[in-house]
Amino acid sequence: MIHYVLVRKYAAQSLLLWASCAFALFSFAWVRVWVVSLLDMGQFRTILEQFRDFERFAPIGFDALFTHTGRVGMTFDEPIVILCTVVWCISRGSDVVSGELGRGTLEMVLAQAISRTTLLVSHAVVSIAGLASLAILLWAGIAIGISTTTVTETLPTPSLRIPFTAIEVPLTMAPPETESFLMSERVQWETFATGAFSLFAFGFFLLGLSTMLSSMDRYRWRTVGAVVSIYVFQLVMFGLGKAAEQLAWLRAMSFFNCYRPQKQIAQVVSEGALAPWRFTGGESDAWFGPIVYPLILLVGGIVFYTIAVIVFRRRDLPAPL
Amino acid sequence: MLRAFPHFEETAFLLNIPVSPTSAINDEVQAKLRVYRDDTATAAVKAVGLSKRYGSFDALADLNLSIPAGEVFGLLGPNGAGKTTFIRTLLGFLFPTSGRVLVMGLDPVIDPVRVRKMVSYLPGDARLPREMRGTGVLRFFADMQAQGDLKRSLHIAERLDLDLKRFVGFMSTGMRQKLAIAAVMGSHAPLLILDEPTANLDPTVRGDVLAMVDEARSEGRTVIFSSHVLSEIEDVCNSVAFLRRGRLALQQTLDSLKQRHRIVARIDASQPIEVPHGLRLMVEAISRDGDRVTIDTASDLAPLLSWLQALDLKQMRVEAFGLRAVYDSIHRGGEKDGDKHRQAGEAIE
Repeated sequence: MIHYVLVRKYAAQSLLLWASCAFALFSFAWVRVWVVSLLDMGQFRTILEQFRDFERFAPIGFDALFTHTGRVGMTFDEPIVILCTVVWCISRGSDVVSGELGRGTLEMVLAQAISRTTLLVSHAVVSIAGLASLAILLWAGIAIGISTTTVTETLPTPSLRIPFTAIEVPLTMAPPETESFLMSERVQWETFATGAFSLFAFGFFLLGLSTMLSSMDRYRWRTVGAVVSIYVFQLVMFGLGKAAEQLAWLRAMSFFNCYRPQKQIAQVVSEGALAPWRFTGGESDAWFGPIVYPLILLVGGIVFYTIAVIVFRRRDLPAPL
Repeated sequence: MLRAFPHFEETAFLLNIPVSPTSAINDEVQAKLRVYRDDTATAAVKAVGLSKRYGSFDALADLNLSIPAGEVFGLLGPNGAGKTTFIRTLLGFLFPTSGRVLVMGLDPVIDPVRVRKMVSYLPGDARLPREMRGTGVLRFFADMQAQGDLKRSLHIAERLDLDLKRFVGFMSTGMRQKLAIAAVMGSHAPLLILDEPTANLDPTVRGDVLAMVDEARSEGRTVIFSSHVLSEIEDVCNSVAFLRRGRLALQQTLDSLKQRHRIVARIDASQPIEVPHGLRLMVEAISRDGDRVTIDTASDLAPLLSWLQALDLKQMRVEAFGLRAVYDSIHRGGEKDGDKHRQAGEAIE
């Protein structure tokens, strides 16, 4: 089912892309945790409160962001993280059949004593392992950031509230005291395992989709175009579903609805480490238990891969152009 | 007993033998199936009623072809004749619309992996991974091939004077072709399929490649050699098949082709030309244009000499009927001409 020579070839072929994405994700996660430590929580809260009207567009309620864990958890929805994941998944998924057909290299590879399924599975092993390692590296970047970052916080000064008014009068004129501590004292790196798992599930879905479309096509540019079109279309559906109450049903039809790492991280904080891995419970407005959402993405990816194998086994392979 | 023959019902259907699972197998059916079975056993490739249709276009149309094992078999035909489609069907890249093909007794539709274990294939436009160096490409294919041999591939590369340290992306078209040849010819697979192997090569390397094809034959391997260069086919092939519009126009051994001649002469316009009964199979075509007559022989010239002498021909010229002439007549002629050649070829065989 898996051909080690092919696996080696695909690994070598994708190494540069993987290394670039891995470096970007790992260093970004680390740096982002450090940036979180630079922002004063009070100031951050004041800024965010200005945007309360737009809270429904955020992946998670603003209140969850007023903690270090919540702010670090935002990493999983950062454009650079999504971009690196999407680039890896679409580029690798679209390469397997239409990419090799377009380059003309499939001809000689498939003339060897391997089945089409073996080729597809060997490619999938490298792509999925690459995706998993990217998600783990992002998590590792967060973990190292948490372990090495020191946070300095301003301690609240003693004050006196004047009765019947909202005025608070400080009881001392001394400069405010600050306190420094390691972020790991407030934030547990294990909390973000669920976010990394969600990111993997999200990527796996895209990888399967790209692979399926690649197995049907002979031009890689068309495969990439098709995947990106579906991606944008689903994103627009998700955005519209959030924007207008009457279009809320659109949100349920978008796979972005199943990517909810911040909510799962918030559940770890509020309900314990096992909360996001349950089939029941979770948020009040959710249809399913928290683990069901990433599982939908994983099952979707498996279905796409299965279709890709069936289509690839049955189709004629055109001669290179 | 014969019902144990693989795909008995399908084979019988393809051979137009009316049998059903319950019908008795009479002597005629048995005889036909035995011929087919024996032929399949000795043939490296056997196509029966093979068709491949794309919409209204027939890339292959009812192709019946048998390629004997241990020979270098030439595939000839103009562009779009179906040569590459046929080759790609052998490898299981394309699925036939109807009919069947067996490669070393195996059906590439049913068991493509086992078929490809016995085949080493050089595509017409061999594209190799550009990110690999020459040595890496040879190692990759030697590891991938069921009967790959890196040492042999490296030896061939050296023989072809190829710089293996270069990345494929920086190689010229000819160098890439040489690299692909080294990767393919290094394998010990019993069937080599070479689709225009000498394209983009200089004359010296072409000679080396043809010599390697000859060596493969002497090792007992079968080679399917598709080319547009007729002189190469004449040099290395034992037999040749001409395809035209997806059909077999003519299949002939090169030995018998070399026996064929064209006689051009002048003759009295009123004199009739009648071929004696015993020589009819030896004369393929006679055409007259005023006092000019052209006689195409189908085999050895010697038995015809006394008849030709009796015709009182003048200014007689005898030309060897080379591959070029056959190719031109098939290429320029229509279906009818192709059929005529096929019949003539069958008669000679």
